This record gives sequence, C-alpha cells and structure tokens, in this order.
Amino acid sequence: MGEYLGILVATVFGVAFVAVTLAVSSLVRPVNPLPAKAMPYECGENPVGTPWGVQFNIRFYVFALVFLIFDVEAVMLLPWALAYLDLGPGALAAGLLFLGMLVLGLADVWVKGDLEWVRTEERRALKRRGASPAAAPTGGSA
Amino acid sequence: MIPLEHYLIVSAALFSVGVFGILTRRNAVNVLMCIELIFNSANINLVAFSRFIEGALGGQVFALLVIVVAACEAAVALAIVMSLYRITKQVNLDKAAELKG
Amino acid sequence: MSDALASLGRFLPELLLMGALAVVIVADLATQAWSLARSRNLLVGLTLAGLGAAFVASLGEPGGGSLFASMIADDGLLGVLRPLFALTAIFTLLFSLRAKELDGARMGEMVALLLTVTAALMWMAGSVNLVMIYLSLETVSVASYIMVGYRSSDRLSNEASLKYILFGAVSTGVMLFGLSLLYGLTGTLDLYGVRAALAAEDAGPALILVLLLVAGGIGFKIAAVPFHFWCPDVYTGASTPVTAFLSVGPKAAGFAVLIRFFYSGIAQPGADGTFAAVGGVDWQGLIIVLAVVTMTLGNVAALLQTNMKRLLAYSSIAHAGTILIGAAALSSEGIGAIVTYLVIYLFMNLGAFLVVILVHRVTGTFELEGYAGFWKRSPLLTVAMGIFLFSLMGIPPFAGFFAKLYVFAAAVEAELGWLAVVGVLNSAVAAFYYIKVLRIMAVDPGDGELPALRFSRLDGALLLALVTPNVVGILFGGALEQISEIAQRLLDLA
Repeated sequence: MGEYLGILVATVFGVAFVAVTLAVSSLVRPVNPLPAKAMPYECGENPVGTPWGVQFNIRFYVFALVFLIFDVEAVMLLPWALAYLDLGPGALAAGLLFLGMLVLGLADVWVKGDLEWVRTEERRALKRRGASPAAAPTGGSA
Repeated sequence: MIPLEHYLIVSAALFSVGVFGILTRRNAVNVLMCIELIFNSANINLVAFSRFIEGALGGQVFALLVIVVAACEAAVALAIVMSLYRITKQVNLDKAAELKG
Repeated sequence: MSDALASLGRFLPELLLMGALAVVIVADLATQAWSLARSRNLLVGLTLAGLGAAFVASLGEPGGGSLFASMIADDGLLGVLRPLFALTAIFTLLFSLRAKELDGARMGEMVALLLTVTAALMWMAGSVNLVMIYLSLETVSVASYIMVGYRSSDRLSNEASLKYILFGAVSTGVMLFGLSLLYGLTGTLDLYGVRAALAAEDAGPALILVLLLVAGGIGFKIAAVPFHFWCPDVYTGASTPVTAFLSVGPKAAGFAVLIRFFYSGIAQPGADGTFAAVGGVDWQGLIIVLAVVTMTLGNVAALLQTNMKRLLAYSSIAHAGTILIGAAALSSEGIGAIVTYLVIYLFMNLGAFLVVILVHRVTGTFELEGYAGFWKRSPLLTVAMGIFLFSLMGIPPFAGFFAKLYVFAAAVEAELGWLAVVGVLNSAVAAFYYIKVLRIMAVDPGDGELPALRFSRLDGALLLALVTPNVVGILFGGALEQISEIAQRLLDLA
C-alpha cells in the first residue's frame, strides 16, 4: 500500500492546487467581460466557429508532423549518450553519422519549402500570376 | 512491488481496446489512434518483461525503437490522410471506396 | 565496436545503397531549379549506379557468420536474396521511366524511397533478431506506403496508400504484440536464443497465440489469405512500376522472414535436412492451412477480374500460396524450393507487369478490353506476354514450370503429396484466367484499324532481359540447383 500513497498524495495535491488558485483569483479579480476579451486566443487571429469544433488550418499539421519526426528521432540519442563512455571512439562517429542524416532530412524539408507558411511552389505559382505572396491566404483558422 | 500480471492485464486491455476501435471506427484518424494503442500495449509488455527478467535490457531498447518507428508511421499516415482530405474533403473510411474490394 | 567494424566489410551492398541515398537526396536538393527532364536523368543515373554497384557487391560467395553481434545472418539465404532485391529495384527504376503514370513527375523522392526500400529488404532478409525483424519490416512498409501514394494529386493513389498504411500498421502492430509476448516467454530477443529457450521448456498455449499474431504480420507482407485484403486495391491504385516492385521485393523478403522466424526461431534442424518444431506447438498445420486457403482463394478470385492489375494482384496472392507449400515441407529442400521460386517469379511477374506498362502507354487503360487486338498491333508484345503468362501458369518448358516442380517435389518428399495435388489442381484453375488474357490479346478483334506499335530501345532491352530467363530456364537447371543449394545454407548458431 505504501508505494501507492505517494500517487494519492500527488493527485490530491494537484487537484487542490488548481481548485484553490481558481477560487482565490475569482475572489480577487475584477469582472469586466467584453466580446473581444471573451474570444478564444488563437495567435492573434480572429477564430471562426465555436471553440468546441475548432478547425485548424491544415498547414499546422505539416509543421506538427515535421516537428514530431525530428523530436522523436532525438530519442535515439538517449541510449547512445548513456553508453557513450563504454563504447570508445567509434561511438562518436556513429552519433555524428546519425545527426548528419537528420540534418540531411532537415535540409530536404527546408529546400522543398515545407517550413514556410506559403510553400515555395505555391509562391512561384502566385508570382507567375502576378500576385504578391502577401496576398496569399494566411491566418490561424480556416 | 507491482507484480508482472498487473502490467500484462493493462497491456492486454489496451490491445483489446485498440483492436475493438479499429474494427468499429470509421474515421481514419480515430483508427490511427487505435493503432497507436496497439503499439503502446506492446511497449508496456516489453518494458515490463525487461524489468522482471534478469539481465534482459533488450526489451527497453526495443520499446524506444518502437516509439520512434510508430511516430514515423503516424506521421506518414497523417500526411496521407491530409492528402486524401485535400482531394475528397472527408476522412470517412466507408467513403474511401472507389477501389472496390 | 571491433565486431561492428568487422561486420561493415560484409555489409557492403547495404552501405553502397545508403551512400547512394545520401548522394541522391543532395543531388535532388541541388537540382531543384533544373528542368524536369534534366534532373530526372541525373537522379535516375545516380540511382542506377548505386543499385548496380550494390548488385555487383552482393554477388560472390556468401559468408557463414553473423553480423553486428548476431543481428543479421550473413548466410546463403541472404547471399541469394541480396542480388535479387537489387535486380528488382533496377528493373523497377527502368520501368518507371516508361510508365505513363509517372510522366512529368519529379523523381527525387521516388528514387530515394526505392534505395531505402532496397536496403531495408536486405536487412529484412538477414535479420535473426526480433528487434531487427521489426525495424527492417517497418522500414520497408513505411517507405512503400509513400511509394504507393506517390501521385499525391491522384485520388486512387491516395486511397490505395491509406488502405495500405491502415492494414499495414494494424498487422505490424499485432505482430509486434506477438513478438513482445515471445520476448516475455523466452527472455531473449535473439532468434537462436528463443529457440534454445523453447527447446529447453515447452511454452504451451501462449506460444500458439504468439504464432497466430506473428503470422498476421508476415502474412500481410506476403499477401497470404486472410491478410490479403489490401493487395488488389493497392496494386490497382499504385503506379504500375511500384506495383511490380511490391509484388516481387517485399514478398520475397516476407518469405525470408518467414523462413528465419519459423525455421530458425521455433524449429530445430534435425538429421537429413529436416526441421522439427520446438516449444510444444506443431505449427506445420498452420502453414498448410494458409497455403491451401491462399492458393484457392487467389485463383478463384482472379477468375472474376476484368482489370489487368487486379488480375495480377490475385495471381500474386495465388503464387504466394504455392510458395507456402514449400514452407510447409519443413526441410532444407523446401527452403531451396522457395528461394528458387522467388528468383524465377521475379522474371515472370516483372515481365507481365512490363507488358501492362507498355500497353497502358498506348491505350491508357488497365481494363482487359483494352488488350483486344494486340496481335495485329504488335505480335512481338503478344508473344512476350504469352511467354510470361505460360511461365506463370507453370507450363514446360518455361521457367515457371521448374519453380513449381521444385516446390511440389519438396512437398512430396515431406510426405505431403496431397498438398502437391492441391497445388497442381490450383495451377489448372489458374490456367483459365491466364489463357483468357491471351485469348483477348490474340483472338479478339480490336476496334478498327490502330497503328502498329513502336518500341523504344529501352523497351526492347527490358523485354529481352525478362523473356530470356523464362525461355532458357531449362538450359540452366544447374544454376537453379546451385541457387537452391546456396539458399539452404541457413545460419545455425547453437
């Protein structure tokens, strides 16, 4: 039972902390609702639709996916770093090779324009039509 | 210490929930989430066995690799779902049936 | 570390492929501004050089040990399959130059994916460790999902890719769960360690569960019934060179994993080249059931198809069933028969797909009606298709006959004569749909007067390269025997 006690204490403390903070702030803060203040915050853009069915711009997913891959790949360095001292000089070369592959991947994403809000190809297409990239649809929510 | 059986029950439950979801869900993204459940049930198994078997650290390394591979797979799957969404404007699997079979 | 360095020398084909991959990615980035044709020529040239180098490096006498602290077996099975994968990739690359679906497509990602898959197939064929099996299988899978969905503006391509990734992720997930249980049962990730643990102590019903789960993952890769549902849709939706690649490369690697897992992991070699199951579960029945169901369903479903790519998809399912007969034999002879079949299957199946690509180039359709009247337009193409289809049917003197002969002989040797009979009956059913295609090409009148076909030099060379092994296979009985003999040298760590 003793091992579970810690979990229980942590849970109770967590819930209590949030509840107390909210309660105290509701007593102290001034109440002055405005329509602009009541809007959900979305990176400075005006949201469209209700907050319950938020529709993100699909471009967010591209960034999220690219981030996800590089973020998770870094996990591979964890066991490598732990065993590094026992592995000798070859380990450095192996680690650098791995990082080199990641850099190659990053370079690929960069050059192909997936790190930009308006993709390179689309910008070229827009330029051909004589429009400026700034006229392209931007904004947090579709 | 928490006995091995508890871990195995949790992982078996996760696995079953995952399989059930795959069989009943019609939204491609939901199915992907259920697939992640299956991967993670295997991860729980691997780490739990590795903890309980003397000198068997391989399971933990295996679990790390599974996490990485599952993330890559999810990324590719979501990219494909997005690409299909761009063309058909929906992600319902029943409607993605132009290829009969 | 010294073991890793020593292993690198025996790892040359894969290293060459990885090197070519890095070069191709950089070249693709550097040539973004070039015209399509120019960058395409450069990329295809570089990839061909890489694949060719890997092919040459993979020839020669296979070693006998294991690489990277017994992660990969450097044995005869890998020695035969490595060049097979490189050759498949070379043909696929050349096919993609001629496929109408890929006209005007940027090739940077395609060649990078092709190199990745080829290297991963080699890892897959050699893996003797559960981690390595899983990793290589997933590398092959993830890269082939993207290859299937390569035409990202095409609805069918996307849909096929989505189906492929959902089926694939589920079956590899299920397999992974099985592997994790096996790890718990035996306490080791090494296949030979697994075998030793199972031989020491029966695992009971848990092992049955493990086998069923793992069979799901392997069955998906080789498209065995009941894990075949993705196959016809993916074959139809993918561009034809990718379809051709999937029908040969990953299938062969799937069979290699099957041999490794079942013959090295949960069976023990006995006297006179037979294998006996360990762990108290007799899994031979499982393979036999898979073989019979896969063959029969594949052939019967193929009878009903009106689309050439779907027909070849079901035909490839049926062939997987036939190859499984060899796996059910539980003998070295069976392993040799499987690998010989895979080698011959490369030439006959890629040949059939080449004809499909060339026909699509002029008619723009994959439907069977589109094949009417081809005898008048191009007798040469019709004859070539006839040779490929007769070979797939298993009619002597074409190479396909010998493929089937070895498999059936292995079954008879293992006292599974009835299974061989089922196989022969299935071949008779298969003859119906193969001959239907030929009848349409040779007898049915096409609509009106169409101009005779002209082939490029590349078409001619490819056709010649694929027809020849099918026709003169009979002259190289010795070579086939040798392939079979080398493939049987399975690494065995006590």
